[in-house]
Formats: sequence, C-alpha cells, structure tokens
Amino acid sequence: MNSSDLEFLRPQIYNYLGFRGVSADPKTDALIVECVAELEKIAQFRYLYRLFDEPPKFLAKEPYKAYLEGSRGVIICAMTLGISVDREINRLFRVDAARAVVLDSCASAYLEFRADEYEKKLGSDLAPRFCPGYGGSPLCDLREIFGILSPEKTGMSLNESDFMLPSKSMAGIIAVGKAAEKSCAGCFMAKTCNYLKEGRRCYSQKGK
Amino acid sequence: MLFAEGKITVFDGGFGSELERRGLSGIPEDLNITEAEKIREIHRDYSCADIITANTFGLNPIKYRGKYPLREVAVRAVENARAADKPVFFDVGPTGAMLEPIGNLSFEEAYEAFKTVAEISRDIADGYILETFSDLYELKSAVLAFKENSSLPIFATVTFDETGRTLTGSTPEIVANTLSGLGVDALGVNCSLGPKELLPIVERLLSSTDLPIIVQPNRGLPVLEGGKTVYKLSADEFEENIAKMVEMGVSVIGGCCGTTPEFIRRIAKFSGQAVRKHEFRPRTAVNSANRLCVIEGVKICGERLNPTGKKALKEALIAENLDYLADEAIRQQEAGADLLDVNAGLPQIDEKALMPKIVKKLREYCDLPLQIDSSDPEAIEAAVRVCDGIPLINSVNGDEKVMERIFPIAKKYGAVVLGLAMDENGVPKTAAERVSIAQRIIGKAEEFGIPRHKIMIDTLVVTASAEQELVGQTLDALGRVSALGVATALGVSNVSFGLPYRPLINRTFLAMALERGLNMPIMNPLDGDMVGTVRAFELLSGIDKNAENYIGLYKDFSQTPARAAASAKKEETAATLYDCVRLGFRERAEELCEAELSSRPPMEVVNEVLIKALDEVGRLYESGKLFLPQLISSAEAAKAAFSAVSRHLPKGTEPKGRVVLATVKGDVHDIGKNIVKVVIESYGWEVTDLGKDVPIEEVVRAVERVKPDAVGLSALMTTTVPNMEATIRALREAGTSAKIFVGGAVLNPETAEKIGADYYTKDALGMAKKLDEVFGKG
Repeated sequence: MNSSDLEFLRPQIYNYLGFRGVSADPKTDALIVECVAELEKIAQFRYLYRLFDEPPKFLAKEPYKAYLEGSRGVIICAMTLGISVDREINRLFRVDAARAVVLDSCASAYLEFRADEYEKKLGSDLAPRFCPGYGGSPLCDLREIFGILSPEKTGMSLNESDFMLPSKSMAGIIAVGKAAEKSCAGCFMAKTCNYLKEGRRCYSQKGK
Repeated sequence: MLFAEGKITVFDGGFGSELERRGLSGIPEDLNITEAEKIREIHRDYSCADIITANTFGLNPIKYRGKYPLREVAVRAVENARAADKPVFFDVGPTGAMLEPIGNLSFEEAYEAFKTVAEISRDIADGYILETFSDLYELKSAVLAFKENSSLPIFATVTFDETGRTLTGSTPEIVANTLSGLGVDALGVNCSLGPKELLPIVERLLSSTDLPIIVQPNRGLPVLEGGKTVYKLSADEFEENIAKMVEMGVSVIGGCCGTTPEFIRRIAKFSGQAVRKHEFRPRTAVNSANRLCVIEGVKICGERLNPTGKKALKEALIAENLDYLADEAIRQQEAGADLLDVNAGLPQIDEKALMPKIVKKLREYCDLPLQIDSSDPEAIEAAVRVCDGIPLINSVNGDEKVMERIFPIAKKYGAVVLGLAMDENGVPKTAAERVSIAQRIIGKAEEFGIPRHKIMIDTLVVTASAEQELVGQTLDALGRVSALGVATALGVSNVSFGLPYRPLINRTFLAMALERGLNMPIMNPLDGDMVGTVRAFELLSGIDKNAENYIGLYKDFSQTPARAAASAKKEETAATLYDCVRLGFRERAEELCEAELSSRPPMEVVNEVLIKALDEVGRLYESGKLFLPQLISSAEAAKAAFSAVSRHLPKGTEPKGRVVLATVKGDVHDIGKNIVKVVIESYGWEVTDLGKDVPIEEVVRAVERVKPDAVGLSALMTTTVPNMEATIRALREAGTSAKIFVGGAVLNPETAEKIGADYYTKDALGMAKKLDEVFGKG
C-alpha cells in the first residue's frame, strides 16, 4: 500500500472512529500510520469467489433484485483478513486501548480496500459489493453464501448467530455488467441510508 | 501394511474435485448413500494406491448437515471404499467452527465431536487420516479424541499457506513438535499448495521430527478461470516433485485437490520402496501454537505467575481474577520472557479446576509456551491437556512415586519434564549426589519412552545466607548435568533470600550460572538488570551473533537500565496532572499523580484534579471536539492516576461501586463492551468483565458472586437481541437487585424497554454518566 492509498483510506478510518467533519488529530494520525503498517505485516488477506450467469435462488428477493437489476451475472464472494488481526486487537485492549480501537477501525477500512483492489482484477464492469445485512437484507443469507463457497478452508466460519469469524471478514454479492462508481446518487439505499442522514458516506473518495 | 514395515506407502488423490469432475453435487457424505455406485467407481479408480480414504471428510456432528444418521453414513462410506480392495482410512476434516478464544467452540466441545466420529468408525476402518486442519489446537483435540477412543493408526496433516504458516500461525517446526509429542503415527502436510511449492515445507518438517512424514499436495496452484478454480499442473511435473520428496525421506505420498487417478498411478511406482533415512537432530523444545522455544543458549522463564511471596497474585487467584494474570503474562512477554511459569498452588484453590482456566485465559493474550508448575498430578494433566502445544511440566524429582505419576502424563501429551535434582530425602549436599539423581531421572524417563531431549534438570539453588558453601555445589552440578546432554534450569533468585540488596546477588549469581551452562533461568523478566545480564552473556558467549540483539536493545541506553530492556515508550511531557489526563499521557499521569499525592490528600486529588479533567474530556467528547481514541487515551491516563490514588487510600476502601459487563451469548464482537470497560473504570467503577459470547448461566453466576450495583450487556446484531432478553429474564428470576444497562449497535431506548432492561446508553461515556446519575455518585 502506498501513501496515496493511505490518504484514500484515512477519511474512512476517521469515519469508523466516529470523527465527524473534524480536521485530523496528530496523535490519531500517527496511530493510523502505525496501525496500517502493522496490518500490512500481520493480515492474511484471502478472497474467494464464484461467478454465476443466473443468480442463485436466495437472491430472488428484495433488496437483491433491485441491486441486480440489469446485470448479466453475479459474483458470490467472501473475504477475510485472517485471525491474527483479531488476536492483536484483543491483546491491545489490555495494553493500549486507544491503539486497539484505532487498529479495529483501520482493519475494517483495510479489508474494504484490499477487497476493492482484488475486485478490480475481476472485471471492469462490476457494481460495488453488496453484503447481507445491508438495506434490510437478512443476515442469515450469509449461510447461503457459505454453502456456495465453503470458505472454511480460508479460515472463515459462521456461528449460530450468523456472525462471521474472523471478525474482519465480509461475504456478499457483486452485480456483473453494471459498472458503477460508488456514489449516493445512484444508490438504491439512498432513501434509507443512516450515513447519509448524518451527512456522511459509507465510502471514501479520492481527494476528499 | 507397507507403512508398518518402513516402506513407502501411497495414498489416493483428490476426492472433492473428482466428485465435481464427474458431475456429482450435493452434500459429499450423503453421496455415499444416494450415489453409492459412482462413489465406489472413484474408489476403484484409485485402487492403485495402498490406502483408500473413505468419503467422510465432513462427517462430524458439528459440520455435517446431511439427512442421514452419522453412523449409517460412516458404514456406507467405508463399504464403498472397500470396493477398491485396499485398507481403508477414515477421513476426518475440521469441524468448520472456530475454536475459542476467537471463535466460540470450546476445546472440550471439539473433542466431543471427534470422539463421536471415533465411536462410529473404529470398528469398521483400518486407520484415520486427520487432514486439512489449519488450527493446531483443533487438531490436538482430534488427535486426543482418536487416541483415547480407538487403537487404530492416526495420520495427521495440516495445510500451510505460501508464507509457510497455517492460517492460525503455526510453522512446520511447531506442527512437527506438537504432533510428534502427541504420538501420531505419521504427520505432514496436505492440500495447501502444489508439490513444488511444498518442497521447503517438507524439508522443514523432516528436520523437525523422526516420525514418518506424509505429503498430499494439490495439483499445483489453482488458476481462476471465469470464477472457477482450475488446476493445470501436468502429471509429469507432479511425479517429478514427488520423486524429490521420496528422495528427501518422505514416507507416505498421495494427492489432494485437483489430482486424479492418473496422478496417483504415476506415483504408485514408489510404493514399497524403502523409506530414505532423514537427518533429524533431537532438541529440547516447547511450543505454543505460534511460538517455538528451543531450550538452547539461554531462554528466560518468567516466574511472576507463581504466587509464592506475591500477595496481589494470591488475591487474584483466590478471586479468580484472571485478567490480573493475563496482564502479568503480557508484561513478562514484552519484557523478553521466552516461556512462562504458571502455578496456582494455594490451599484455598481447586488447582485442577483453575489451572485449565488459567491456561485458556493466557492463550487469549500471550503466545508464549508455558511451564505448568504444580505438585498435583491431576492439576498438571488438566492444564497440559488444554495447552495449545508442547508445555514444560514442573516438576518431578528422584522420588520414584512422583516419577511414576508424572511421566505417563508427559508421555501422553509430549510434554518436556523438568526434573529437580533431589528426592524424598531432600536436597543432597554435594554436586555428585545431585548428578546421580539427575541420571536416575533420565533413566526412569527412558523406561516410560521419554527420550533424553524431553528432560531438563534443575540442580537447585540454595540460599547463600544460610548455606553459603553449597552455592558452589549447585554450580558444579549444573556443569556436570549439562555434560549429560540435557538442558538445565535454575530458580535463580532463591539464592539471595535473607540478604540485603538482593538484585545484585541475583544477577551476579545468574552470570556465574550462565557461564556454567545454565539454559533456562527461572526469573523475573521485569528486572531489567537481570535481563540485561542475560543479553550481555549472549553477546560475550557468541550466541548473539554480531551483537545485533544487544545493540538493538541498548543503543539508546541512558540512566535507566531497568527500562531499557523493556523499551519503555517515550511520552510527551505535559506540565500538570490535569493536562496529562486531558491529553491522554498515561505513564506521565501516574508519575505526576504520585507527586501530587505527596502533598495533598488522595480524595482532594480525585475531586479537584481527576474528576475535573474527566468532566472536561467528557464535555469535549459530547460536543464533538474530542473523539473516541482521545477519549480512551484520557480514560487510560485517568485509570493510571487512580491506581496511584488507590495505593494511598486506607486498606479496605471500597470502590465507587461494582459493574459486571458481558457481551451476550452468540455475540462475538466485543469492541464496544471493551471501550465501555476502559471508560467506566476511569470513572472509578470496579469492573468484572465476563468477555464475549457469555452463556446466560455464567452471567447469573457472576452476578450472584460479585453482587454488583449494575450489569452492562452488549449486543451488536439483531440475531443476538433475543439472547440479551433471555439473559435479563434469567437475572430477574435469580432476584438480582442490580440495575441492568444495555447497549450496542442494534439497540435503542424502545428495544431496551421491551426486553426488560433498566437503562439504555448509547456509548461508553453515556454509561459512565448514567451510572453516576443513578447511583448518585457524581
């Protein structure tokens, strides 16, 4: 990851940390740089996916239907930063809780970043990833995705309450043939989005 | 079986990929019943192998989601595999659930699942192949389950990634040390990578054990084609690399994902050849799942988790305050300890029950190998069983009765044993007598099948003030025991009891002992001068090549040697205690608080400085001028200051009040709860943190024990709110008078009321303020 990537991530990390429209704090800034460097060292990023021409049955409902409208296929995907990140966050809470909180937020942003980078290789006509739990979609659909991909080999698991482990993991779908920049204007969630209500966004933009 | 005769044995190849290739879909284990003939066909196509693997990879009570009884599937699967007319090994994969502490499957639950598998298969199969494990801890539970519930041979393999570690961070050396210790029949690697990429890993496995090595690689690295995983390596290249492995000394070969009967036919030609001997130098080594500690040169064993002479630790053990132990463990690791002594030997304590809890707690925060220290064999076994690797047992001595009870445990779990050079008659005076006891211990261990490299000897430190002339005997014995080829240990600081300026005696004695061949001083790693003596010795004796480690540690050395080793963090200087709390300078806050306390009464410092600073921080946070990391830094600084205050308060002063915190059953994300803990502690509340995914009954028990003023429950997702409601109901039924606070991403005041909570607070600061308001203690 280069420094412009880090600049790209920084607003997102601040967002996760609950900073609202405030200029940077030098101490937190320094922590972010250290935490991202730590992540580059300890994260074991894994990405699994399968491409379907026809969406699997569990996607034949809202909000997936709206998301997939006009697409010519769907990618089912799962990704994780691995268990070492959880372990380090856990340990840091005993040693330096502020750092633990910053590492946690950095890890969330870093996972998104690595996933976005990976997806650039999968095609140029992909919509932004959509994960069960967003937009009122049921969390239990994660079971369908786990059934399709069996991501256990990458160290991911799903517990009885539909929590993914390691905690820095995502699983979702990507509409193919529907290229779109992440933007609020085109987002079908715009009416109900909590981020937007607070004047924030769920994504980072270069230069902002 | 060829295997038993020291001949190369060939396993079959990929099964899942073969099912897919033949267009068979659905739950693979169920195909044993629904598509029996096609399954038999695959087995027959693999009959060129010496051992056939039954189609049972996911057949355990946690993972299997098919519609037949487990036993029926097991029987049919083995029947199908018999079609190849070769010995049949039962295939055992991981449970698919994640073990504690990151996941919520306990070691014991994993064991029970594998025990069930053993019970349904031991009468029909010829052996077990435990494969594709990525968590060594889970694999340990499986090996124990099969060893304790069947007498069939056990082969065990794990998967490594391109960095040469398993997903949970174990290296080939760690895997080999652990599985050799547990006494499997063959160990190795499957799946992971292609045969060429596996060569370096195989090399490392071979040099870490004298047990047979098994390798079942994938058909090269997968290539993604249109969303599908495709394997493209040629059979020629596969065979070529397997030939290299045979040359290196591998005993059992086969294939994994993507390999087909053709690949196995190509390597079947090695079947029956004599296994090549491989180089293996036995070493005394203990390990956790992530850290190997070879007891050569000098290794520091941290002594601070032994309650002898430590009042605060005693209290923590009696109160089962395991957080205290975790903090001690982290501090010792950061200060340079290589392994940690763990002792819970107090008359008030049920050691057998507590030791495994301690081991599990330490695993969460510290990855050093452990020295299990107890005089109770049952407590030793309970602790050793749940270690995530190979521990050191402290101790046996020359007393036959002791050895006869401890050695079977060490043998079963592969532990290294520390032998004390004394017996039922006490500590002998002369070096010669101590050496002869050491020899007796080594000899007796061999009778139990425990090799010399699994034994260490402590030649016993006497106190110089009482028996000055015997100090030399300890050192003489040390040198002579070293010459026997076993690693040595000493509890160094015992030497200075009853003398003034003990640290000076300790470090001088340490230097003398190191020179005589001491490998493992059991000492206080927080004593920077002691650690410094070890580092200097490593430099002077050439262990620390080019003085790299020494220079790295001490290049910035100034007047504070004690801190230098622990590489203390520098913090900006802030002028006042108030500023330190506001700006979150933890160490400086504690120092300045101490200074304030020398001139003002403790409660004045609390009311006039600390509370005012916290109020200011709270105000800034609420008005959006300070943010979460800063709030937490301030809270930690305030906590450090409060710890100074508490040292100045009269004994028996009660805290502001008690709070029990828990993230509810099923919920494994506890960052919010952890933040709450830090912040409300900074407001002076005593917190008992039960952790995450806490069973309802455990919350109830803790509340009955602690009798808190308040209980805080957190839940992150809608799926666990019902568990929160059930927890509240159970607490009410148990008649608690504590106020119940709830919080978490999915909660709001309405939900909180609906599920029967007393209060909802939106964040950590909200809870701190609400507590003060409700209990009138602002």
